[in-house]
Amino acid sequence: MPRQYEQLNLPDRTLAIFKWLAVIGGASFVLGLVFAPQRAWSSFLLVNIGMLGMGLGAALFIAFQYICGAHWAVAIRRVPEAMCAILPWAAAGVLLSLLAGKSLYPWIAKPPHGMKGIILDYTFVIGRAVVFLGLWLWLIRTIVARSRLQDRTADPALSARNKRSSAGFVVLFGLTFWMATFDWVMSLEPEWFSTMYGVYHFSGLFLGALALITLLVIWLQYEGPLRDVLTHEHLHDLGKMLFGFSAFWVYIWFSEYMLIWYANFAEETGHFIRRQTGAWAPLFVANMCVTWLLPFFILLPKPVKRSPRMLVKVCCLILVGRWLDLYILIYPSTVGFESVTFGIWELGMAIGAPGLFMLVFVRRFRSAAPVPVADPMLEASLHHHQ
Amino acid sequence: MAERINRLASNRRFLLAIFSSENDILAATADARDRGLSIADVYTPYAVHGLDKAMDLRPSRLPWVCFALGFAGAGFKVWFEFWTSATDWPINVGGKPWNSLPAFFPVTFEVMVLFASLSTVAAFLLGRGLLPGRRAKLASPGVTDNEFALVIEETDATFCLDEVTARLRVMGATSVEERVEQESV
Repeated sequence: MPRQYEQLNLPDRTLAIFKWLAVIGGASFVLGLVFAPQRAWSSFLLVNIGMLGMGLGAALFIAFQYICGAHWAVAIRRVPEAMCAILPWAAAGVLLSLLAGKSLYPWIAKPPHGMKGIILDYTFVIGRAVVFLGLWLWLIRTIVARSRLQDRTADPALSARNKRSSAGFVVLFGLTFWMATFDWVMSLEPEWFSTMYGVYHFSGLFLGALALITLLVIWLQYEGPLRDVLTHEHLHDLGKMLFGFSAFWVYIWFSEYMLIWYANFAEETGHFIRRQTGAWAPLFVANMCVTWLLPFFILLPKPVKRSPRMLVKVCCLILVGRWLDLYILIYPSTVGFESVTFGIWELGMAIGAPGLFMLVFVRRFRSAAPVPVADPMLEASLHHHQ
Repeated sequence: MAERINRLASNRRFLLAIFSSENDILAATADARDRGLSIADVYTPYAVHGLDKAMDLRPSRLPWVCFALGFAGAGFKVWFEFWTSATDWPINVGGKPWNSLPAFFPVTFEVMVLFASLSTVAAFLLGRGLLPGRRAKLASPGVTDNEFALVIEETDATFCLDEVTARLRVMGATSVEERVEQESV
């Protein structure tokens, strides 16, 4: 007799909290547009880039598992799959920022000359965004749909087909994502450039997605669906990945910073000088601490990587770091570097985005079995050990 | 002198059980542990996951060596670079301050990795006594190929040879033999 898995059943109160958070987020955006439009658009772009990163990171996590033929994460794969449900929302948010938040991008009003003018041509940028987002969404949707179809048909060939699609997605992502970050975030300061920008965004989004996956699997174990599924061995592997990608993030951060510091070209250093001196300096240091320094030392011992209690704390720290990282990238360019601007619009959207995310996540998670019941590697994943 | 005679008198006796699969050795080792037998060691052709738990080994202390020496290596290198480029022979590189921490980081990182990794390997070799010229003492030649060997020490008079042998056979041992280790004088 096949094993039965408990479906996620949330009390109405929990769902009401998520709904209220989402409403607060939406209200902050709408009211913010009236009272402080530049801050509202900046914050809107921030949370949408952040949520897009969570969805893309989750999709990459699934793709990496398929490509490597890794069995360990099969039992928890429904979590990143459900995280991908946020992608259409975030994609719409990013497009809306480009179409309506024109005050964010100085190059829309004052098109640059030469090659940069061709690259930053408004129609071209919008066209690229539509193509990139469309291709990502289509491929991710295909992969997730096949995984769910396998629940019913138990056809192992679907795994093989997903392996090929995953390889395609990773290549596509590598070829397009850096351009997307150039268009949507780096061009907030069109006179500044860095070829490390795309990989820097990737390191952050993957770390953030890993932290969210870890938080959600621990939560789902507590709530029921992953009870008797998630073990310390799975957490140990997630902990190792968190540790590794936290170190990867700072490695990429420093690779960008050091080259610019060494070369000391006036057109490159401005970006960092505006952030590491004056009002933004404490946040600049805080970002380094919560995204790398603290997680690195906390996650060093083996027992911590296996402890849900400790992992929850580290993941919360990393997610705060994720927001802070994007805040430091976006706000000094759009709102001003002379002072740190933080108020109800920023706070409202920062807590509203997780509310919306959870609503979408819970709905998608409930629409399928809590584990991929017919995946050929499920048994190996359930009995995974180090 | 009396102590030495005592040691000579008590030859250590071992039971060597050979298994043919990873699952058998894991189950047999866990079984021996649960029965309170003294597991002298387990020899396998490759690293078997979960064996440390089956043998009830305490966590390795190597990570502490790795951490301490890695930290020491990083600290030493920062000091050394400060000493060479800011104190002993200051050199102006591109107008940067003499004590330029960002420029020191890459080498500090490399030296930290070097110290941490070499010291871990050295600590492992020294701790196990694996020095050059050491001859391998194989429980059975097959453990370098396709055999898995469980070695149980016969610790005291309550050790019932027949019972343990029978149990090991039940657990799937292909052969069980007794070995006596002569203490060299």
